[in-house]
Amino acid sequence: MPVPILKQGGILIASLQTAVTDQDLIQLQDDLSDRVGRFRSRGVVIDVSALDVMDSFATRTLRNLAEALKLRGAATVIAGIQPDVAFAMVELGLTLDGILTALDLEEGLDLLTATLREGDHSVG
Amino acid sequence: MANDHTNSTLQSVIDYDVERRKRFVDLRPEDVSRIAAIKDAVVRHADEHANAFFSYLSQFEEAAALFRNGDNLREARHLKHDHLLAMVSGDYGRAYVEQRAKLGALYSRTGVDVRVFLGAFHQLIHSIGQRVAEMFPKDAPAAFQHFASINKVGFMDIGIIVDVLIAERERTIRVQEKAILELSTPALQIRDRLLMLPIIGLLDSTRAKQLTDGLLHSIRANRARVVVMDITGVAAVDTKVANHLIQTVTAARLMGAQVIVTGLSSEVAQSLVALGVDLSKVNTVGDLQGGMEEAERVLGYKVVPAPEAVPQRTRL
Repeated sequence: MPVPILKQGGILIASLQTAVTDQDLIQLQDDLSDRVGRFRSRGVVIDVSALDVMDSFATRTLRNLAEALKLRGAATVIAGIQPDVAFAMVELGLTLDGILTALDLEEGLDLLTATLREGDHSVG
Repeated sequence: MANDHTNSTLQSVIDYDVERRKRFVDLRPEDVSRIAAIKDAVVRHADEHANAFFSYLSQFEEAAALFRNGDNLREARHLKHDHLLAMVSGDYGRAYVEQRAKLGALYSRTGVDVRVFLGAFHQLIHSIGQRVAEMFPKDAPAAFQHFASINKVGFMDIGIIVDVLIAERERTIRVQEKAILELSTPALQIRDRLLMLPIIGLLDSTRAKQLTDGLLHSIRANRARVVVMDITGVAAVDTKVANHLIQTVTAARLMGAQVIVTGLSSEVAQSLVALGVDLSKVNTVGDLQGGMEEAERVLGYKVVPAPEAVPQRTRL
């Protein structure tokens, strides 16, 4: 099942479901990249709170996704990593360095808004 | 609750294979039949044997607690009497071990010293030996053989009692370890979205894991955005400990929380540099005060003195 992508103002929200497959993640990468261009979005929140496991493939895909979207002009926040998932990721050495993270969707949106505002100031 | 624990420790001693216990002391069917032959020497003089045990025990302050409490002493005497009868009953099964373990638990509860117990137990065996010798006035080898058989049971008994005493002590250690683990890693909410984690003592892998796990759940529960981790109380920071700290910081970051580490003493800082530990990913601030200020800055708090504030008098 493809990952649903919601548009909220200038921000896109992608909410990963429990049974997300590797194929879905690759599809998400294409979809988001495409929509960021189409809607001229400035930010993306990827909500992973439903996931109770994040393997190296998922982590790498999300990292690539964030970096690709940055090149397309959108900041990405990964939101809602569960405590046990975070713990397991660190044990496996999957750290998501340089990627913005947030506690949940709400925090992610706040963080993104703040980041974008900061960016505006630096331009103006 | 304490009783539940005691019972479960006892249970593990009781559940241990009885046949194996018999093998340890080489208790054979011929021993059992010899014991049956001298049953009378033990049963008829049970009180005398028990007295030998308790009067010897009473001399030592290491066993004083047992004699201070009348209930405990009555129970011990009662169990000891039962034990003497069971010793020659020929049936050394689960019930036998259970009876012994109960007595062992009583010794453990009253803090009877193992060495003193062993001395007193020898007196008991000695007392039995004398009565056994009387049964064979003209046949010393037979007396010795019979005595050796019941002695095997005695050694099996000692095995059970020592098992109980060790198991009880290990349980105490486990309970204390757990208490230390739980006590020493609280994540405290200082302000909205701000947690403080004081770490005290030694950081080993188990504790570091537990600490990280506890912190991650606290971050979620308190919706924390910044965590100030104070390691003033950590005795020594080496490569291992530093890596644990980096893991904790990284895991918290994955959940969207920023960690500020404070309280690195100058010795610790210098030794970390000397060890070549890369702490560049960790945001460090000299002391707890500095860390709190940094955290407040990140969260957008501004602490200003209120000029109109009048020092409050403490009411009694």
